[in-house]
Amino acid sequence: MSTATVEQRLMEIWEEPKGLRGWFATVDHKEIGKRYLWTAMLFLLIGGVEALIMRIQLSRPDQAILPPEMYDQLFTMHGITMIFWYASPILSGFSNYVIPLMIGSRDMAYPRLNAFGYWTFLLSGILVYIGPCMGQAPHAGWFAYAPYTTAAYSAGHGMDFFSYALIFLTISTTAGAINFIVTILRLRAPGMTISKMPLLCYSTGTISCAIIFSMPSLSAALVMLELDRQWGTHFFDVAHGGNVLMWQQLFWFFGHPWVYVIFIPAMGILSMIFPVFSRRPIVGYPYLALSTVLTGLVGFGVWMHHMFSVGMSDMAMSFFSAGSMLVSIFTPIQIFAWLATMWKGRVVLKTPMYFALGAVAVLVIGGLNGTYTGVIPVDWQVHNTYFILAHIHYVLVGGNVLPVFAGFYYWYPKMTGRMMSERLGKWSFWIMMLGFNVGFFPMHLLGLAGMPRRIYTYAPGLGFGNLNMVVTVGSFIFAIGILISLYNFFYSMKHGEIAGKNPWNADTLEWALDSPPAPYAVAHIPVVTSRNPLWDDHDEFLDPENERVFDQGREVPATSWLDAIPVGISQMPAPTLAPLFIALAMFLFFLAMVFMWMWVALAGVILTFASGAYWAWPKRAAGEGAPA
Amino acid sequence: MSATINVYPPAQKGTYEPLDDKRGLYGIWLVIATEAFLFFSLFAGYLLMGSSKFRWQTNRPPKLGYALALLAILIGSSIVLMIGERMVKQRRYFAARVTLVITILMGFGFLALQAFEYLDHWTTLTPDTNAYGSIFYTITTLHAAHVIVGLLLLCYVLFLPQYEPASDSPHLPYKTVSLYWHFVDVVWIFVVVILYLIPHGIVYGF
Repeated sequence: MSTATVEQRLMEIWEEPKGLRGWFATVDHKEIGKRYLWTAMLFLLIGGVEALIMRIQLSRPDQAILPPEMYDQLFTMHGITMIFWYASPILSGFSNYVIPLMIGSRDMAYPRLNAFGYWTFLLSGILVYIGPCMGQAPHAGWFAYAPYTTAAYSAGHGMDFFSYALIFLTISTTAGAINFIVTILRLRAPGMTISKMPLLCYSTGTISCAIIFSMPSLSAALVMLELDRQWGTHFFDVAHGGNVLMWQQLFWFFGHPWVYVIFIPAMGILSMIFPVFSRRPIVGYPYLALSTVLTGLVGFGVWMHHMFSVGMSDMAMSFFSAGSMLVSIFTPIQIFAWLATMWKGRVVLKTPMYFALGAVAVLVIGGLNGTYTGVIPVDWQVHNTYFILAHIHYVLVGGNVLPVFAGFYYWYPKMTGRMMSERLGKWSFWIMMLGFNVGFFPMHLLGLAGMPRRIYTYAPGLGFGNLNMVVTVGSFIFAIGILISLYNFFYSMKHGEIAGKNPWNADTLEWALDSPPAPYAVAHIPVVTSRNPLWDDHDEFLDPENERVFDQGREVPATSWLDAIPVGISQMPAPTLAPLFIALAMFLFFLAMVFMWMWVALAGVILTFASGAYWAWPKRAAGEGAPA
Repeated sequence: MSATINVYPPAQKGTYEPLDDKRGLYGIWLVIATEAFLFFSLFAGYLLMGSSKFRWQTNRPPKLGYALALLAILIGSSIVLMIGERMVKQRRYFAARVTLVITILMGFGFLALQAFEYLDHWTTLTPDTNAYGSIFYTITTLHAAHVIVGLLLLCYVLFLPQYEPASDSPHLPYKTVSLYWHFVDVVWIFVVVILYLIPHGIVYGF
């Protein structure tokens, strides 16, 4: 059997159907990963435009471009768009695209669930943006403290859109998390033991576990809120025995792990980039892996540090303050490991490395001012000021946006087959860095001077005017930097240099594949013997007898979770429309619940279960798909 | 480097043996984990609201009789279903379907009895009486919703044309759905302890 026929046969098995139906029915993780990335980038742009409108309003004292209610809606939409519909899904996009290739597999563990995760992510984003289109956006900030969000203070459907869209997104994110956990633990190539898997798998696995255990508490809080708003219960009604602090407890029990959900995988991306551009294996792999897992774990023990100013016992405050300090031990372990990698290696300064280095610089500032706010007296002083705003933007831009751009520049050649323009990339980087620091550093000063967050304007005599103008100018420069990179994406798709298989001479398995990879990804399932498979002497893909082709259907070998010893062959499902149907049915349900059209909601439930049954019904009985 | 390491590629010439049929089980375990934390959050909310002083003192603890009868039904159904799982292992598929029918009937019995319990409680307590009513009905209704989902899953397994191991999905449907059903039962044990038994031992407002 020649190789050509092997590849042709695999192509026949794994090729996705063409046409419109094929586009909606695809379960290919590469296609879904790219859709995650595009959709999340779209939400980044929407959220960015919202931020710029706010900055215009705040550039001078006593501006009246936006009425106060409109401003509230804008900062809320900015917050939830960025935190829920950009920051986490974009990392899911990278993990989705890269992880199966990185571990030598051919798809995620549950390809249909993967498609379901994408459709629900997209539809929940559409649901939350129906509100603003009707002029009824949520207006209570991204953490939406009760009782302000209850029906008495927030009339209209704004908060209903918020709640139901978030419950919907919870389902999507949980589905994705289950998929990642099983993929990482079950589908690694033979020989890729848990001590040899790429660090991105550690970070994605950690946050997937955090999602599994933390998201339900958000759902519970949102269900309580909607019951209060729509059905007259008294969860957040003190006069009837409710407890308003319960919202904060439940929300932050979810919220702090969520901060890590949108931050740790970005650290994983950086851990992939630093060794490649330092031309040596990463220093301190076990410490990096363990500190990643421990950060995720400790993330469950710090949630009350968001609530220091609401009043709690000294014991509780000391505990949560100490817990927060613990985080500033684990994250620096990663940073020092990267520094040591560069120190001991030979640094090659390409655009991904620029963004990675910039991310570390910004992140360190964000981490340091975060350590300040973990100290309770300082927290009381700066709580709800622009200092906190500076902190979260330094952490999120250093811990999410810049690593994401590093990831784009790094994996773009793999996804499209072409290199991005280095020249434009470096321009974009420097403009982004300049704009970001000009725009966000003065927020520290504004915060210390006492400017509260979430105000739609301020009086002229307070001395905030000049700094606010600087902030506005900086944020526009930052936006220009991002637009240059976006232009670069489109420009390089046509005009970029042809990348070849491994333009960066990188070490992980995805770089052994074609760019872009074939639908079946690997013709011969690799056998891994080291942490840097492409840098060692061992040929992972050597398989002269065609023993590791697995071409009797959509097959992927499953391995044991610690030692990656083969234990069986997983059959992957064929493309199907069921995930789209079930996502649409759920969309109908949640939309109906916003307006309390109970019969439509019931129809949504029935359709959900019907499409679930269609999904899970054995294919042979339904007469579709080839019998094995 | 010239050191050679001999790596033996895994011998996998037989294409379908062994089939990895455990993915569904892993999935349902993770679903159970996340659902368990949903109930954990609600119980935490219950304890948080109830632990404030002088709250809820006007409420009587819910009657134990119903809860214990419901508990007996659910545990019984789980035992029946475990017998069914053993039947599947022994390839006695007809017996497995019979136990499945019994489990489903017991599940419907649970829902019916809980409806009676609600009718009884409703006279003194509704979800909008106070926060205690809200959380009591939310937790029990959410559990009932899980029972309904469990019943739908059991019905799905009942209607599946065959239980023979096959290379196509669904793999191990009986075992996977049984796990979910056992989880729903275990949640009810916690509901009984936290919402029924403890309040009988300790006066509200502890």
